[in-house]
Amino acid sequence: MAEATDRGRTQRKRVRLRLRLISAVTLVVLGGAVAASSLVAQNAIRDQERVLLQERAGEAASVLAGAFAGVQDSLELLGTLAVTNRGRPSTFASAARSVITTSNEGVLVTAQHGTSMVVTAATGNAPAVGQAIPADQDQLARRALSTTGMVSGVLPDGSRRWLAFAIGNAAGPGTVVWERAAFSAAASAQLPTGPWGDLNLALYLSSRPEPTALLAATTSKLPLAGGVQYPFTVGADTWLLVASSPAPLVGTLVQDTPWIVLGIGAIVAALVTTVVEIQSRRRAYAATLVEERTASLRRAVTDLEQAQAQLVRQEKMAAMGQLASTVGHELRNPLAVIMNVLYLLETMAGAGASEAMRRHLATAKRETSAATLIVSDLLDYSAERVPMSTPVQLADLMTEALSVVPPPTGVEVVTHIEPDTDIHADRDQIRQVLLNLITNGYDSMPDGGVLDVSVRSAGDSAQITVTDTGMGMDEATTSRIFTPFYTTKSRGIGLGLAVTKRVVEAHGGTISLQSTPSVGTSFTVTVPTAETMASVPK
Amino acid sequence: MTGFAVLVVDDEPGMRDTLMAILELNGYRASSAPDGETAVAAVREGAFDVVVMDVRMPGRDGVSVLEEMGDPPPQVILMTAYAQEERLRAAVKASAFAIVHKPFATHRMLSLIADASRAVNNVSRAAQ
Repeated sequence: MAEATDRGRTQRKRVRLRLRLISAVTLVVLGGAVAASSLVAQNAIRDQERVLLQERAGEAASVLAGAFAGVQDSLELLGTLAVTNRGRPSTFASAARSVITTSNEGVLVTAQHGTSMVVTAATGNAPAVGQAIPADQDQLARRALSTTGMVSGVLPDGSRRWLAFAIGNAAGPGTVVWERAAFSAAASAQLPTGPWGDLNLALYLSSRPEPTALLAATTSKLPLAGGVQYPFTVGADTWLLVASSPAPLVGTLVQDTPWIVLGIGAIVAALVTTVVEIQSRRRAYAATLVEERTASLRRAVTDLEQAQAQLVRQEKMAAMGQLASTVGHELRNPLAVIMNVLYLLETMAGAGASEAMRRHLATAKRETSAATLIVSDLLDYSAERVPMSTPVQLADLMTEALSVVPPPTGVEVVTHIEPDTDIHADRDQIRQVLLNLITNGYDSMPDGGVLDVSVRSAGDSAQITVTDTGMGMDEATTSRIFTPFYTTKSRGIGLGLAVTKRVVEAHGGTISLQSTPSVGTSFTVTVPTAETMASVPK
Repeated sequence: MTGFAVLVVDDEPGMRDTLMAILELNGYRASSAPDGETAVAAVREGAFDVVVMDVRMPGRDGVSVLEEMGDPPPQVILMTAYAQEERLRAAVKASAFAIVHKPFATHRMLSLIADASRAVNNVSRAAQ
């Protein structure tokens, strides 16, 4: 039980160091969900940002397109004026001046004159009438002549650049009507202010963001990274507005939403995981407790069952013991009578008895003694008899014992008995010990042999040795030889040596043996000569 | 040793008969009684030197008979097939000469009876 608790504690301790599977799964799932939500939010916000940027760029483009929408009409009108009022340049000039708003701008009409374009009318910031326009501006003029509608372009001119609009054949075939405005060479920050104030814009006079076509921009950091492109038409050309936003259009808070989602999600995931972990541990702890209690209950039940079985067994044994005791006692009277009869027969036959009769009588005496011994052993084992101590002549007792159990045919008994070896003991019990040792010796020599019996004083004790030349025993048998009901013999109940040992030890003595298979066995019993038990009052 | 009167008291006829035969064979004058009452009467009437008596008998048991033996009491040897410790202690107190467990070696019984007879001899010599 204590061991199980310790094990449980160690297990709990070990688990404390790492998450349980369920908690780990919860953490992973929630973490994944949070990360996914954050990504989705990020994508949605990016899309929103893009849509907003697109819308704002569209607005800017339409403002710009609107600003230049009237230019084509003005140029066509000026062309018509130039044709109808040829020879009255003042009419053209006054009309043209109404178009021009700053000193940087100018309006002019050119006509093909040989291979070059020659100015035929001019107002504002423009070359004088009769002058040929620079060759690099010819290209725009030619495009204007071959195109229906207004064309536009950026024309470099030293430290300046021109934004030029041109429409071909407006003042008669081969003529081009121009309007142009001077810009500084640097393109940045030249876009007029408008509703796009917080945007970065770049305006290209082509459908692609080519640096040469750049007209103006609100920043010098070009090309604009991550910007949206918004193409729109001015006359016959397509212009391109590229817009980007230095600050999020959706607002800083919205921009940070994915991180907020991620942060709050992480906290929630951690909390949920903690709760799951705590619950899981509680459950595991409860389960361990239940397991331990169940195991202890089971053990208790098993113990109870064993105790009950033991009780039943003991009751059975007690009943058997009672029966054995009764039968044993009842056998003692007839056995006593038989022994008397044998004595009478032996005495009456006297010297006249034949050798065969003597042998038969000896066998009858030995077997009766054996039966007596079994009964005595059984009774002594089942109900312990309190020894009654009296002075005992060990030499006489051994002689008597040998006469009670005469040796079987083929067995020779050799004795070394010292006289006057007196001890204080229960005579009947010590006699039983001697009889047990002698009959054991006989039984181990079915094919005959020598039984050496010795009784001698050894200091303050008497020593009895019974040695046979019989079959001997192996170590396994020797180790169990004093166990009750253990026997290697075909007869007997295996109590002789158990009772012998008990009696010897009750007298404060010892019993030991030496045995070699096929050589023989030697039992040595030592009994103190002095009184070791309460003597019987006389 | 011979000529001593011995009373055998036992409810078992086999024991009575064989023990009497053995005693007679060894020169004793042997009589027998089947129970305690008869034994008490016999001891009071005739002079027995030694009584060999079973402890457990129908009616009165050997120990109670021992306690009622005449004056001077004979030497009593009790025989028992049972380990009745309390009764045996009482028997010893009531000065039984010896207690023998059944079954006994006949030689042993004879030597005890001889010892008891000698004791009777000593007592009577002392009385004279």
